[in-house]
Amino acid sequence: MDAVPAIRVVDLRKRFGALEVLRGVSFDVHRGSVVSIIGASGSGKSTLLRCINRLETPSGGEVYIDGEPMGACREGDGSSTPRPLAEINRIRRDLGMVFQQFNLWPHMTALGNVVEAPIRVLGLRRKEAAELGAECLARVHLSEKASEYPARLSGGQQQRVAIARALAMRPKAMLFDEPTSSLDPELTGEVLAVMRELAADGTTMIVVTHEMGFARDASNRVLFLHNGQIEEEGPAEQVFGNPRSERCRQFLSKHLQ
Amino acid sequence: MSEALLTALNPSMFWEYRQVLLRGLAFNGYVFVTAGALALAVGLAAALLRLNRAWPFRWVGTLNVETFRNAPDYIMVIWVHFVLPLLLGAAIGRRIEFPPFVSAVIALGFVYSGYFAETFRAGIQSIPAGHIDAGRACGMSERLILRRIVLPQVVRRMLPEAINQFVSLFKATTIVSLIAVPDLMYQVSMVLQQEMKPLPLYTGAALTYFAVIYAVSSLVRLLSERWRNKVYA
Repeated sequence: MDAVPAIRVVDLRKRFGALEVLRGVSFDVHRGSVVSIIGASGSGKSTLLRCINRLETPSGGEVYIDGEPMGACREGDGSSTPRPLAEINRIRRDLGMVFQQFNLWPHMTALGNVVEAPIRVLGLRRKEAAELGAECLARVHLSEKASEYPARLSGGQQQRVAIARALAMRPKAMLFDEPTSSLDPELTGEVLAVMRELAADGTTMIVVTHEMGFARDASNRVLFLHNGQIEEEGPAEQVFGNPRSERCRQFLSKHLQ
Repeated sequence: MSEALLTALNPSMFWEYRQVLLRGLAFNGYVFVTAGALALAVGLAAALLRLNRAWPFRWVGTLNVETFRNAPDYIMVIWVHFVLPLLLGAAIGRRIEFPPFVSAVIALGFVYSGYFAETFRAGIQSIPAGHIDAGRACGMSERLILRRIVLPQVVRRMLPEAINQFVSLFKATTIVSLIAVPDLMYQVSMVLQQEMKPLPLYTGAALTYFAVIYAVSSLVRLLSERWRNKVYA
């Protein structure tokens, strides 16, 4: 195991008004490993993911990307100040995110979606970006759909384009927020297949999912979230084979039928 | 048909004076284009202010929208031309005068900015939050997200509504003759002083406005439909 984890989450907290959604969550994600987060709806899984790349601002705790704290800049004298938005944007590039609703930009073609940020954010030239885009679309097996607009793609194809869009930033880690939850069962398979390939290629991934098969087979560690806290955590075989917490056992028995 | 009616509908006099009248119509075009550009720019700014998180910005945006949307354009044109220069002059202690064209553009530009602001605001609010999240997750700045993700979609969504507002704006340019901008209606009134036959001239002017507005707005509608369909097919 390397010393500095790709992502380190320390005592992460988030409240929306009186509602405490995350109540002190801590875990590490090491380079090349896949962490699946499972749990009932409302357990805080998506909020946790959104706090990691700061689409939501945590109420407390810190997230470290390659040892760099996301929410605060450390000064020379050891004190820290809140990180300005431009800096947060810079760190966000390192975290590719895939959403439940795909969130492709409908006015751009598949290739346009993939190359937009590499051109505008990373400053790639159009030709380089087009090559990179073609490479990323090939990785999700959609080379032939490069010039289609999202409205003409199936849900599974749209989600694969969204994965290609995230990969095009060459992120250090990928965050998946229930990537198959709004897909028909038959389209779920093609997206999970791409995700399994990424995992096998050594991509660092955090996957919030209801796909217990994927969590069990493709991930190194599994976190079971309950009421904004980690209730059970361990290697996939242990969490699925022999969960210690009664709640986790109940949850799994419901979802593994 | 009575002779009076036949005279009123006879376009030959309009045709006789077509050169000077069409030169007037060109002025309607100039006022329309510049006031339209001003209305879009101010309208977008006001919409962004109204959507700002900080209440003082929201308040300024709302003040702008409510002031100009509720001001009759007729009165605004006169007020901007005659009263605003006095106010500004008193403020800086010097006599100011606006050329009629400038007054017309400011008045119509600001009145219509109130409408465009609401169209922009509705358009921006209709963009799913997820599209913006996706931009942020790619490390895009808020400004880049606005320019590349939000506005291109807003423009497509607001086009039908905006075309209606542009038509209204073009029709509103007929009142700039009030402050002696030499537009079509102004030229009509000049010709009237010689010919003393207002009705055929007004008929001709009405037909001209109708033809221009109908032709241009139909063309723009057709082009915009094609453009929208390409993406949202």
